[in-house]
Amino acid sequence: MKDYRFIGKSTPRKDALDIVTGRTKFINDLTIPNMLYGKVLRSPLPHALIKSIDTTEAMRLQGVKAVLTYKDVPDWKAGFPHHVRILDSKVRYVGEGVALVAAETEDIAEEALRLIKVEYEPLPAVYDVEESIKPDAPQLYDQFPGNVFPQDNVVFGPHTLNEVVIGDIEKGFEEADFIVEGTYAYENIPNPLPPESPGVIALWEGTDNLTVWLASQGPQIFKAAFQRRMGNINLQSLGNPVGGSYGSKYMSWQYALPAVALSKATGKPVKFCYGKAEHLAAFTLRLGSRIHGKVGMKKDGTVTALSGDWLVNSGSFSEATQGMVAVGCGEAQLMLRCKNWSFIPKMVCTNRTASGQVRGFGGQELKCALTPILTMGMEKADVDPVDFFKKNYVKAGDGFYWRDGDWWVCRGIDYSNAINQGAETFGWKEKWKGWLKPTSVNGAKYRGVGVGVHGNADAGEDVSEVYVRLEPNGSAIIHCGIAEHGTGQRSSICKMVAEVLQLPLDRVYVTPTDSLVNPIEIGPVGSRGTYAIGGAVIAAAEDAKRQLFELMAPKFKVKPEDLETEDGMVYVKGKPDKRIPWIKEMQYYGSIMGHGRFESDFSIPNFMMIFTEVEVDTETGKVDLIRVVGTTDVGQVIDPLSLTNQLNGCLGSAGIDSAIFEETVLDTRLGRIMNCNMIDYKWRTFSELPEMEHSILETPFPTHRFHAIGVGEITPSPGPSAVLMAVSNAIGVRIHDYPLTPDKVLSALGKIGSPMRRE
Amino acid sequence: MKLFAHVNAYSVDETIKLLAKYEGTAKLNAGGTDLLGVLKNRILPNYPEVIINIKSIPGLNTIEEDEEGINIGTLTTLADIIASPVIEKNYSLLKEAAGTVASPQIRNIATIGGNLCQDTRCWYYRYPDEVGGMIKCFRKGGKTCPAVSGENQYHAIMGAKKCFAVCPSDTAIALIALGATLTIAGAEGTRTLPVEEFYTPLGSVLNSGEMIAAIYIPKPSSVAGQRFLKFTLRKPIDFAIVSVASIITHDQGVCFDARIVLGAVAPTPVRALKAEEFLKGKELSEEIAAEAAGLAMAEAKPLSKNAYKLEIAKTLVKRLVMGLT
Repeated sequence: MKDYRFIGKSTPRKDALDIVTGRTKFINDLTIPNMLYGKVLRSPLPHALIKSIDTTEAMRLQGVKAVLTYKDVPDWKAGFPHHVRILDSKVRYVGEGVALVAAETEDIAEEALRLIKVEYEPLPAVYDVEESIKPDAPQLYDQFPGNVFPQDNVVFGPHTLNEVVIGDIEKGFEEADFIVEGTYAYENIPNPLPPESPGVIALWEGTDNLTVWLASQGPQIFKAAFQRRMGNINLQSLGNPVGGSYGSKYMSWQYALPAVALSKATGKPVKFCYGKAEHLAAFTLRLGSRIHGKVGMKKDGTVTALSGDWLVNSGSFSEATQGMVAVGCGEAQLMLRCKNWSFIPKMVCTNRTASGQVRGFGGQELKCALTPILTMGMEKADVDPVDFFKKNYVKAGDGFYWRDGDWWVCRGIDYSNAINQGAETFGWKEKWKGWLKPTSVNGAKYRGVGVGVHGNADAGEDVSEVYVRLEPNGSAIIHCGIAEHGTGQRSSICKMVAEVLQLPLDRVYVTPTDSLVNPIEIGPVGSRGTYAIGGAVIAAAEDAKRQLFELMAPKFKVKPEDLETEDGMVYVKGKPDKRIPWIKEMQYYGSIMGHGRFESDFSIPNFMMIFTEVEVDTETGKVDLIRVVGTTDVGQVIDPLSLTNQLNGCLGSAGIDSAIFEETVLDTRLGRIMNCNMIDYKWRTFSELPEMEHSILETPFPTHRFHAIGVGEITPSPGPSAVLMAVSNAIGVRIHDYPLTPDKVLSALGKIGSPMRRE
Repeated sequence: MKLFAHVNAYSVDETIKLLAKYEGTAKLNAGGTDLLGVLKNRILPNYPEVIINIKSIPGLNTIEEDEEGINIGTLTTLADIIASPVIEKNYSLLKEAAGTVASPQIRNIATIGGNLCQDTRCWYYRYPDEVGGMIKCFRKGGKTCPAVSGENQYHAIMGAKKCFAVCPSDTAIALIALGATLTIAGAEGTRTLPVEEFYTPLGSVLNSGEMIAAIYIPKPSSVAGQRFLKFTLRKPIDFAIVSVASIITHDQGVCFDARIVLGAVAPTPVRALKAEEFLKGKELSEEIAAEAAGLAMAEAKPLSKNAYKLEIAKTLVKRLVMGLT
């Protein structure tokens, strides 16, 4: 393996010191002269028509500058297909916006909300995905009859994947040694809950100038999506340091549009930041996922057929549900090398706060419901799940339909080595005692182990475009619209450029995440930071280097390709003693602009496997996570700590813990989310971490300059189903109702009746 | 947050006068860890006009020991209780209970008096006003308790009639097991009351003109075993799903005295009197412990989603009696 100067070495994150000393300014730390504060009046009812709104008294309150209702907000529509207004005459979930207020202080805005009088005509509400598609169910949207969202071509093009139909399903079942069938669900709709709640400042100036400061994972997406919808205005989107996102703050229109509307109405900057309760009760959650599925399997673990109906509960709107379903369908094929498929999703709306993008992006939700069906088959075949996943995970030469509807052929590496090393690190062979058998028993405490797998071909998704500017003083500036959403990726792209140009790391900078300065950048999502954004960054640095050498070559009287550069000096290969600084030829007033572009490539799937060991107290039903081992192969580590942190991030952000205690509790009589505070929403604290260890392989990927691939997005996704398997094995009973809280465990053990479910 | 007037009090007498002056529109702030959340979320139908800060009263945060017992000032922080060698030596039950409350940061400012007087954690009662309006449940003068046929996984499994919220205080059950009494100051002077008699189904006997001034704990027998168990989903931070405190004295395996108190199973802390009586004179064994646990929970009638709490309560009582964790 090549020894790099920066790549693979631990280097301090460029923003680390500011973050840990409290100097980083997050959205809520910013103030702009004359800034107003926005607040939202939220619906008490899950489904209702607004009969009347009286804002007179609120307008009269001293310090109130604007009160907007559905009658006077701009008619900008969001979602797929475009269907979500900023405010509507109909509310579809408890917590939906009914009116917006901008005032001189937050307290005044809050008081003004209480002075708005609203009369509602309540409508019946529906929460369960199967109830919602019944003919007599309450209808949420006129344009979506039957409460089913249509596929939308805008998401991933005209052939966006909306099912997996391959081969001959009947023949596949005939070839099976046995067939298993069942209905499983992952419907606890956990909240990824980044520490910083969503926030924005919007400033509408003159007739058509808009600036937005966004705490978003993809601030430029807001511009890309809304500039035209707002009438081709001059829109500048500015990214701010983001206090976590986990996918959920990527599509920022939910929080940006109310502030923009208020700023347009007042002509002043308006800050709008969600509070924790709003974040928990009125922001986007994970998708609800339920599968009626059937799997045909041979005795050796070969899957001959998979059929199923995938019912996707998107809540009150579709933020990007079609996209998540497309990627989920693709990811199912990466996990299962099966020749015959008939897997049909249906995207359904219901009367609760919507499901939006969360890391795992459809695939985690799908897999959490599909894996329990597969494990029934594995149990019947008495196949070790590690062997099953190894046999069935996509290999080079295998084909699959990806999100764009195209058939892609895998050009990636074989992940069997990663699986073997992970199993070794975990001690799988010693701990695995067979299906529904505990690893060990100590009084009432039963231990069990489980494993899960996930992979995504989005590591090379979408176009990225980057400029790298060389300055005569021997420094480089990366013009890239990448946001810093917590992973350290802005630092990592500096390492890539420093490596290509052999510059000290402190002489490489990134421009602010400003849409007026940088080319469009869709952002660090789907693990694309290393491969896609990194690919464009590297290409731009190489291009700049080529131009530099063309400029300097005459001076040395050699060909450009004979030159090398180091620390802002150029020399002839093999003759490092005679060095000429860049500035000699670039002059004080010159600069070099390299351009790099990455084109979508879905042929290189990444990989993540998680092993878990749990301990179950069979008298109290308590499940404790004892040990977690993640295994992956990243080709080449870019930054060891950043990677480890991504792998450690598998617990929270609606990951592994969504099988243990994370859930959103919805009272389906009131339509209200009951656990909208940090005590009742069970978010793991740092003082209760399991033992964690990761096995990270570096088998070079030939398709990347540094032979690397990204994996950050998917690290939690194999976890929840692995926990189900571990708990089932510990207690000797199949259990599958996420999360495995004591009531469900005691019920599975027959110690209490099954907790009553009311849908 | 809505504005309120803020007044510092410098003595218990002054506090009582201020409470009288504001006639039920004032709230006391001892540490604020519970109060500020209540105010911020606007869960109460009547927002207080005045907050009386009692942190400014000198001398109310002391722990004084004599031969008969200890007197703990109402403003003593939970962190100070945990750190007190006196409490560790003779009243370890209280230390253990206080140590399970919230997080170190909160224990640094939360007080023992505040912990006893904190409001219930019922999520219907606590539903924040900003997301569709607060919920007017029975406890707030409404007609029904929405938990009865709703999301009642954390609610009462016994002893509830109109409101199924549970008393969240961990220190209360420890103090009841220890036989502690409260000194309550009011307009009529001070009165003393066993902690056991302090709680009512909708809160406590404290009226709007009163405050807890001190807690007195008689010194328990040095041979009595003091134990506290609390079941939560997360070890730090969480309020109890079930908690149990006990003082059991036995001689060579034969129990001759037992006090067992359960928390978070009912609107008030619950003394397991039948189990206590049953244990006296019995040789402790797993069967006896299980039987005592059954008696402790004999009157339990779980709701639709909280039968698991009954199993956990029985397990905790059994483990407590057996000396297990």
